[in-house]
Amino acid sequence: MKLCGFQWLVASSVLLVALVASADTRPQYGGTLQVSVREALTSLDPTDTTQPDSFARRNLIPLIFETLVTTDDSGHIRPLLATSWRPLNGNQRWQFRMRSGVKFSDGATLTPGIAAASLRLANSSWKIVSDGDSIIIECDVLCSHLPEELALLCNAIVKKADDGKLNGTGPFHIADWQSGKKLVLSAEENYWAGRPFLDAIEIEFGKGYREQLVSLEMGKSDLIEISAEQSHRISTASHRSSTSEPLELLALAFTRDAQSPEEKSLREALALSIERASIGNVILQGAGKPAASILPDWISGYAFAFSTETDLTRARHLRDEVRTASPWTIAYDPADPLAGLLAERIALNARDAGLQLQPTKSAVADLRVVRIPLLSDPVMALAKVAASVGLPPSQIDSNSAEALYSAERELLATQKLIPLFHLPVVYAATPALQDWSPRLDGMWNLADTWLARNPSGSINP
Amino acid sequence: MNFRRKLLAVFTLTVVLSVAGVALLVSAMTRRAFARNEDERSAALRAQFQREFDAQGKEIARRLEAVATSDPVAHMAALLNHSSSESAGYFDLAKSLAENYELDFLEFVDANGTIVSSAQWPAKFGYPETAFANLTPFAGQPSFLKQEELQDTSVLGLFAVRATRIPDHPLYVIGGRRLDKNFLATLNLPDTRVLLYQNQPDNRSAESLIDPSSIDPSKAAHTTDKLIPLINATREARAEMTAIIHWSSDAADDEMFHAIPLRGKVNSQPLLGILLIGNSRRSYVELERRIRASALLVGGGGIVLAILLSSWAAARVTRPVERLAQAAQEVAAGNWSARVAVEGNDELSQLADSFNRMTAELLNQKERLLQAERVAAWRELARRLAHELKNPLFPLQLTVENLLRARQNSPEQFDEVFRESSATLLAEISNLKAIIGRFSEFSKMPQPQLQPTDMNELLRGIAQLFRAQLQAPGRKPIESILDLDENLRQVPADPDLLHRALSNLVLNAMDAMPEGGTLTLRTRKKEDSIVIEIADTGSGLTPEECERIFTPYYTSKQHGTGLGLAIVQSVVSDHNGTITVHSEPGKGTRFVIGLPGNPEPSRPADAQQARVIDSGAK
Repeated sequence: MKLCGFQWLVASSVLLVALVASADTRPQYGGTLQVSVREALTSLDPTDTTQPDSFARRNLIPLIFETLVTTDDSGHIRPLLATSWRPLNGNQRWQFRMRSGVKFSDGATLTPGIAAASLRLANSSWKIVSDGDSIIIECDVLCSHLPEELALLCNAIVKKADDGKLNGTGPFHIADWQSGKKLVLSAEENYWAGRPFLDAIEIEFGKGYREQLVSLEMGKSDLIEISAEQSHRISTASHRSSTSEPLELLALAFTRDAQSPEEKSLREALALSIERASIGNVILQGAGKPAASILPDWISGYAFAFSTETDLTRARHLRDEVRTASPWTIAYDPADPLAGLLAERIALNARDAGLQLQPTKSAVADLRVVRIPLLSDPVMALAKVAASVGLPPSQIDSNSAEALYSAERELLATQKLIPLFHLPVVYAATPALQDWSPRLDGMWNLADTWLARNPSGSINP
Repeated sequence: MNFRRKLLAVFTLTVVLSVAGVALLVSAMTRRAFARNEDERSAALRAQFQREFDAQGKEIARRLEAVATSDPVAHMAALLNHSSSESAGYFDLAKSLAENYELDFLEFVDANGTIVSSAQWPAKFGYPETAFANLTPFAGQPSFLKQEELQDTSVLGLFAVRATRIPDHPLYVIGGRRLDKNFLATLNLPDTRVLLYQNQPDNRSAESLIDPSSIDPSKAAHTTDKLIPLINATREARAEMTAIIHWSSDAADDEMFHAIPLRGKVNSQPLLGILLIGNSRRSYVELERRIRASALLVGGGGIVLAILLSSWAAARVTRPVERLAQAAQEVAAGNWSARVAVEGNDELSQLADSFNRMTAELLNQKERLLQAERVAAWRELARRLAHELKNPLFPLQLTVENLLRARQNSPEQFDEVFRESSATLLAEISNLKAIIGRFSEFSKMPQPQLQPTDMNELLRGIAQLFRAQLQAPGRKPIESILDLDENLRQVPADPDLLHRALSNLVLNAMDAMPEGGTLTLRTRKKEDSIVIEIADTGSGLTPEECERIFTPYYTSKQHGTGLGLAIVQSVVSDHNGTITVHSEPGKGTRFVIGLPGNPEPSRPADAQQARVIDSGAK
């Protein structure tokens, strides 16, 4: 059958439309991603343990620096700079085989020696030696969870230049850094896993939730953070929002240990007086999950065993057993709009139980409202929570739920922490941000995302 | 004080008292006028404050009405009417609407009295509104005062209540404005400041007082300390009170404060607060000061002018009197020819004329008296001379007649008679010479030669001299007593003249005691002079004798010349002293001599004065 000219024209047009359509869904290189975050980072050094943990830090630092291993959103260990690992002598000595062909942003090649030197700076109690294409790490005690620990940000491999400049092996390198204000990352052309699609990422720090939302609405930001309680008010028509699993522990943390049985009773009375349900419904607008446990149910699987019900009768009884109760001050971060309201409500609940709580913005207080970002690995998460309230990490010998439950019970029995809610992390992005699907643990994974072109053909204004 | 000064003082006192009286009267009237004016101003301020307060209340009610009828609230009310569980999404609505409508308090309360949303205490959602039962009857009513409990304190506010137009389950809108610095600042009260005291028993008073004009906490504490008595009084009385607050020692800083108790809708409720309306008294005080300064200036000037005029008038009035007094003094000093100029025809001129006539008459009488005294003295002298000379002349006459008779009748016995008569004649001639000598001596009294003299020693010498005569045989003994003040100091005197005068007095005393008695010689000190007394216990003198006893040639004795005591008086007078006699018949006589401690040389006038005898005889 011979095609006429008109038929050729139609066939050609259909083919062209099909090709154009398929081009829109293919990743495109180029463009600068504008990101706004509330956190005001003052250091990009992953080994700087004085910096507070935050999701912004967790998402931005791995774009520059990489660890030997990493965890997926289920908490499983995955290779990164190390291709394989194995325990050598029980669980006290481990061998990690390093990936070859990895370069730092200054062009230097990653060697086991450099990786060992970087890890030694972060972990002075470990014995770390390089052995051919591997490094051997020997802990002073049994360390069955060493791979999980090496997945932590603080164990990222950093190469410090003589001028103090930090070099990493991540998909981006630092182009401009204004502490606490702005960070510009440029794509690493020679990244071992392939050049990222984005040319650059510009991050603005210290932006409030409302300011971020305005910035998104005006097209000045492509990716922002959303407060959990405001997430239901985001228009889904013009933006894409992403909500993680509950990853943040909202809790009350006492600044000192309970000094007497009476004080323990008062702390228990306070925990029993808090109306988590109404707080969750009203203040958090249903975004938070009432919690009496440290780990959320999706990580531990046993959170339901910790009751979140208010028991005012029991709370009053406990309060009445104590002759005198001096007033407590409850501190909150004035920059956190949720914390102040939460502190006031808890003070109101406590008053019903006969306790006196005075909310304050002062840094010195008897207890404070804290937000603790959790890790998807339960052991690491418990250790991190314990460290955040000044307690030693629990010794968990096995990965069984019973051992984990026991460790968490033990940690809560110190009564230094009253869990309130597990909060998800919520982000919103413009529709132009493609292949962006945050993990369950809230990680952005920006190395694989790309920006779609606008109708005029340009990627970014 | 002389007459002119007295007159000046009387004039001045009269003027000052008059001015002071007028000033007090004017001051009292001014103060009363000021007080009345202040009261009227205060009443006007209170009325203005009440109008402003009512206007604010109406404005709050209007805003509440607007909130209650706004779309979000209507939507919320409609939603909650169907399902109360939908309230969670509106818990922060009150806060945003309160900001929009500029309200400090805003609460949405459902029909069950549960707080759906609260602007002033956002965390209180789900809790019951404690005053719900009391507040709902005021839905649609004017605004009212209410104590609002907040998280850590309670504050006073002006509230109103409105209800949405959903009959089944109405939603109540309770809101208002806080009575704070901003609220007080909105009250349009010129030249006045308004403070608010919140009646919170558990709060410290300094924190309970809202003062829009105060920023410094220490000043706020000072303000509270000053106002707390007025606040306490108002709290107790539960009625309006007024007091002047003294902020400093300067009265211009004072403020008149009116305390208005603030109550809720129910009068039996505890006092919610006290409004303190302060009105500066500076303008009043300064006006009062200006008036006082003017009054003082006018009064002072008037007093000075009055003193000057009084001085002139007093001088004019007293000048004739002073002339009269001066003339009288001159007359008293012996100038009998002193005269006063007579001017005009008033009483003082008549007095001066009378004075002149009186002195002229006195001068004439004095001349006549002197003439009479001179005649009397000559007569007395002639009598004394006749008497004195007659006594020796009579024997002389008899002797000469005997000589003549003897030569005529018995020539043989003439020689013997001549010898005897010659002796008699010589004796009588000698007697005549003695009489003439005494008269000559009296006329030649010498001036005293003063030297430091111990009077005690002088008297001791006289006593020693007369001791033998006092105890002489053949006469009754006289006891001599020396009563001397040993603390006497020496005085300037002529010891010889005084010795002679005192001896004369002792001799007179001995003559007065023929039957014996006691002679007392005494000295004593009296102020700046010394006193010498010579006293006897003899027959004494009659008052008439006492008066004349120092008169020359007067004597009560049969053979006296009457010059002894005159000489004594002359000596004492030449020492600028005085001599007096005190006597009673039958009881004795006492001569008292006063001598100055430091006598000046005697002058004629003084001598004349010193001769005046003080007859102290009873």
